[in-house]
Amino acid sequence: MNIIEININGNAIKADAGQTILEVCRQNDIEILTMCHMDGISDVGACRLCLVQIEGSNKLMPACTTKVMPNMAITTTNERIKKYQKITTELLHAERNHTCAVCVANGHCELQDMTAKLEITHIRYPHLFPDCDMDTSHPWYIMDHNRCIMCTRCVRVCKEVEGAHNWDVMGRGHEVRIISDYHTPWGESETCTSCGKCLHACPVGAIWPKAISQGQLVKNPGMINDLVEKRKMNL
Amino acid sequence: MNRQELNNFIEKEKEKLAEKGSKAQIRVCCGAGCLSSGAEELMNSLKEEIKAGNIDAEIIPTGCMGPCNQGPLVKFDPGNTIYQKLETGDVAPLLNSHLLEKTPVTEKLLFADSRENPSLNADEDPYFKKQLRIALKDCGHLDPEKIEDYLLLNGYQALDKALFAMAPEDVISEIKQSRLRGRGGAGYPTGLKWESVYRYVNDQKYVICNGDEGDPGAFMDRSLLEGNPHRILEGMALAAYAIGASKGFAYIRGEYPLAIKRFETAIKQARKLGLLGKNILGSEFHFDVEVRIGAGAFVCGEETALIASIEGKKGNPRPRPPYPAEAGLWGKPTLINNVETYAAIAPIINNGGEWYSEIGTAKSAGTKVFALAGKINNAGLIEVPMGTTLREVVYDIGGGIQGGGKFKAAQTGGPSGGCIPEEHLDVKMDYESLVNLGSIMGSGGLIVMDESSDMVDVARYFMEFCMDESCGKCVPCRVGTKMMHDLLQKICQDNATRIDLERLEELAEYVKETSLCGLGSSAPNPLLSTLRHFREEYENRVRETSPKHNVVD
Repeated sequence: MNIIEININGNAIKADAGQTILEVCRQNDIEILTMCHMDGISDVGACRLCLVQIEGSNKLMPACTTKVMPNMAITTTNERIKKYQKITTELLHAERNHTCAVCVANGHCELQDMTAKLEITHIRYPHLFPDCDMDTSHPWYIMDHNRCIMCTRCVRVCKEVEGAHNWDVMGRGHEVRIISDYHTPWGESETCTSCGKCLHACPVGAIWPKAISQGQLVKNPGMINDLVEKRKMNL
Repeated sequence: MNRQELNNFIEKEKEKLAEKGSKAQIRVCCGAGCLSSGAEELMNSLKEEIKAGNIDAEIIPTGCMGPCNQGPLVKFDPGNTIYQKLETGDVAPLLNSHLLEKTPVTEKLLFADSRENPSLNADEDPYFKKQLRIALKDCGHLDPEKIEDYLLLNGYQALDKALFAMAPEDVISEIKQSRLRGRGGAGYPTGLKWESVYRYVNDQKYVICNGDEGDPGAFMDRSLLEGNPHRILEGMALAAYAIGASKGFAYIRGEYPLAIKRFETAIKQARKLGLLGKNILGSEFHFDVEVRIGAGAFVCGEETALIASIEGKKGNPRPRPPYPAEAGLWGKPTLINNVETYAAIAPIINNGGEWYSEIGTAKSAGTKVFALAGKINNAGLIEVPMGTTLREVVYDIGGGIQGGGKFKAAQTGGPSGGCIPEEHLDVKMDYESLVNLGSIMGSGGLIVMDESSDMVDVARYFMEFCMDESCGKCVPCRVGTKMMHDLLQKICQDNATRIDLERLEELAEYVKETSLCGLGSSAPNPLLSTLRHFREEYENRVRETSPKHNVVD
């Protein structure tokens, strides 16, 4: 452990030199909004909700991938950051098809929680409603690409925790899609172990078990980290 | 081959050259531009005519000579006379007149159609006179597929000098002294970059050459790779020696088959002469280069995406830090420079950093290659000292606007850059001045537009490009560019309202500030710069209220 001193929102805080800004903030009960981050898997810095301001840098930096440095002065929230968080959330809503009232994850959805937290009542951008598929080929689970927000948590959990690497990303720009194996129906996947970790990793209602109805998808994302920690302890 | 053997080899080549004496040399430009306008047929016909007429002349295929839209080009040496727009039918009379009767064919001389008195010696034409060719020096003169040609023009002498007379630290300090800055667009000081990779201790380091040139209208890197591949290879070897790398990768986009072919040929030739491989020239230095071919994604020009692509992964950027200098290719310290940056290295080592630093402006040293395109008379490849004004580039070198039209704007930096309007024609072309005008130097694409260009449509075009080329990893770039494109489309179709314009500006700021990599954070630049300089074109096209709300009688 190499303890360094940093400053977050005007308060002096001690941190370990190898930690990310997000880890230090969570340890000290400082709120950082996240979407693509999940405890137990690697970080990619993709959702841009955790951006923080670092003194001396004109760029906003993602808290999830930026490591703390001695004497770093960090501001976790201000008007500019809040404005950008709102736009990001609105864009996620507008990108595909998010209708809470008919969604299995209604009431258990991180995008919904984020929207409520940021007090977003209207989406100011036109909904794109792209023509996405719904993969029902798996005997137990459904993948609805219309609800996917491309956080890639399922990809990482499948690759890093389960070790199966069934999920990956295909395409570019707004046409990116999560794919199973080399873009085969999920039910025909040769790598999927049907472990169900991706269901728990998904922050929204894009992956869910068959035979449940709206609002019934209750997830346990903390289970992933527990699993990782237990493996470390060789339990 | 060790040092002595190579010197003997060069001496033999020199003797062969001396034997040729003053034999006429006919150089045929075989850059991609001239090849597509028929240079290959022209060269075959030249060969046939020479054989048939028993003319004492040698035909040399070369890389790009510069004035691409006048092609195919043929240069006669000695005399440095360039003929333009030649067809196979012109060959026999041309050879007869120029070589046998010693009278130049005036109506086929370079720029014969645009100048009253086209110059017999091409270097006296304003197009070349205003240029200072360092990176492009031998491009268009030597045969890019012959290492002998490069060696005869002092090739690999800088590598020899570095290996036997300089420590790696000396090479770095020479580059630092030259004040060379990255020619890929961002302009980071090259010497500092080298030094930071040098400082990371690791048993394996890598050197990468970024040849994934993707800006619409840019062809500097392609022409350099096609025209003088050994210069790039020598630059990479010098970089490897300086930072302590033993392996290099040249990442060249797949759309450049000729550049890939010539660069691979260059690698093979260099290996054969012991200029690549183990114990280069008998020294303790080992270095080899492999070519990696890009599959067409623009984002792979971004260094972390390029590294992912070489590793065989999807070309997605990742957050920096850690920078590639610390953890790059396969997690090892990696140096990435642009093709044009490597092209400047050997001359700097040969002539000294001070020599290079005296060219250009206080903050931007040296020269910059630009690819002139658009509504300009002399489109092509040029190299000018930093600080040359845009007016000199467009009017003196470029020969002004096609059809006598009026200059409206010049687009620099491609989809990451911006438009420079007429009132700033006297801007000095260097990194800082262009940024001050809301554009960037970029890799060197320069698209000239006349009064017929619609600036909102220009912004829409570049936004469409960024939208299609976004990797789709981060939200601002993936969804933001799509939204901005749709709003720009709406303005172009005269359906937008003032609120749309406000949202567009808000999104532009958001995407610029929050995107993960350079592609996203610079994607709004063409929009922002046209808003800054041509705002009235936007204002004139947005309505106060939606057309749906208009009352129809």
